[in-house]
Amino acid sequence: MTSAAQPLDSAAMERASRSKTLQLLGILSGFTAGAWLGAAEAPTKLVSTGISPMAISLIMVIGVFLARWSLPALILGTSSIRADVRRAPHLIIWAILAGCLWAVANTLTIFAIRDIGLSIAFPLWNSNSLLGIFWGFLFFNELRQAGWRRWTGVLGGALVMCVGATLLAIASSAQGPAGHSFRGVWAALGAGVLWGTMYIPYRKAYLTGMNPLSFVTFFTFGELGMMSALAIGYTGFAPLWKELLAARSVVFWLMLGGFIWVIGDLFQQYAAKYVGISRGIPLSNSNQFWGLLWGILVFGELHGRSSSTYAQVVGGSLLMMLGVGAVAFSSASGEEQTRWKEAAQREGRRYGVAADYVEARMDGRQAAGELAPSRSVWDWLLVAAASAVFVVFATMARVPQMSLHWGPAALLVAALLVLLFICTLALWRTTRFH
Amino acid sequence: MESIGNKKASASRLSNVLTDVHFWVPVVVLLAGLLLLSFMR
Repeated sequence: MTSAAQPLDSAAMERASRSKTLQLLGILSGFTAGAWLGAAEAPTKLVSTGISPMAISLIMVIGVFLARWSLPALILGTSSIRADVRRAPHLIIWAILAGCLWAVANTLTIFAIRDIGLSIAFPLWNSNSLLGIFWGFLFFNELRQAGWRRWTGVLGGALVMCVGATLLAIASSAQGPAGHSFRGVWAALGAGVLWGTMYIPYRKAYLTGMNPLSFVTFFTFGELGMMSALAIGYTGFAPLWKELLAARSVVFWLMLGGFIWVIGDLFQQYAAKYVGISRGIPLSNSNQFWGLLWGILVFGELHGRSSSTYAQVVGGSLLMMLGVGAVAFSSASGEEQTRWKEAAQREGRRYGVAADYVEARMDGRQAAGELAPSRSVWDWLLVAAASAVFVVFATMARVPQMSLHWGPAALLVAALLVLLFICTLALWRTTRFH
Repeated sequence: MESIGNKKASASRLSNVLTDVHFWVPVVVLLAGLLLLSFMR
């Protein structure tokens, strides 16, 4: 009796320990995502006005496109992406759909900021995490059988973060609304709904076993295609081209912003994979806190402002950290994870994806019989071509004349690199990026 | 034979996508977003 029960117990304990490790990995990925997504704003601050927001978005998305192909090729190789697509080809549709949702939401935020100002617009579209929690619960069994303590932690944490974000947005807004308030509120709410709904494809892909590195390569076709269509539709091809040519000296900074954003987004994808969208999204929404740190410490944005502004910043930051802590300490219980697995099995059955593949990928392992990823000469060529584009634009870039505080900048860069190193190492050791 | 099998699998996959609520919710939200953008102009 005892000898038969012992291996069973040991297997169950191993599963529980693996699951706990993956949860911690997801939380760490969420933190790292917040830091890198927030830092993505820094290069864009080097760009002075004179370029339309639509052109700025398009140039950033071009940088994002290059990064979304070169980083996965560098980390795992495109053979791994092809293998993923062969196993679950239907997910390409969701990846492109998610990219389109992102581009439309991003464009709506431009209108929202213009019409009602950042301080009102940001909290409205930041509600996307609440919608993410709702979709996660409704469609993917997240927070099912989680108990009131975890519900309070996740929902309460997300709400506290929204309040903190509101305070930070009020403190960081430079000017008041410019009119058309009704239109601006609709634009901000619309962006929140689009971004919140974008997490449905994310979660669907990761429950079915797709690697985040594969998902983002197709996501970016939707992102670039929709952004190009919107930019051409709004500006016209010839004026847009003229504007892009005139912006040659700042293209590098904007593309660099896009590149940094992709690193943050990759960690956000791993967070969504290992802790679900209900927890992963609020954690990575801490990017606003990091963005403000860059703004205040490096660019001196609040210099000379009133003490009440600083009080708002301190209060908002504390609330953000409190909310992040509440979400981070509400990791999924064993019962909830069983419900996640049920959702994953349902997806596998519906689309004919092998159950062992789905299960292995949920555990961050390679499936049995799956070939080890390898890089070919094409992958290196892809990386070299993307790097060459960045180098060419770097040679054209002009360093703007503005006062920067290099000490805090060095500290923030060091913090980013430490987080990148720790999180990458943890992902590599635990999952080999599967 | 294999080609017929592949075609059947593709057709069935497409029908699974088109009857999946996870597909239609983002599609509807995307169309609503585009509509909202056109009003913004």
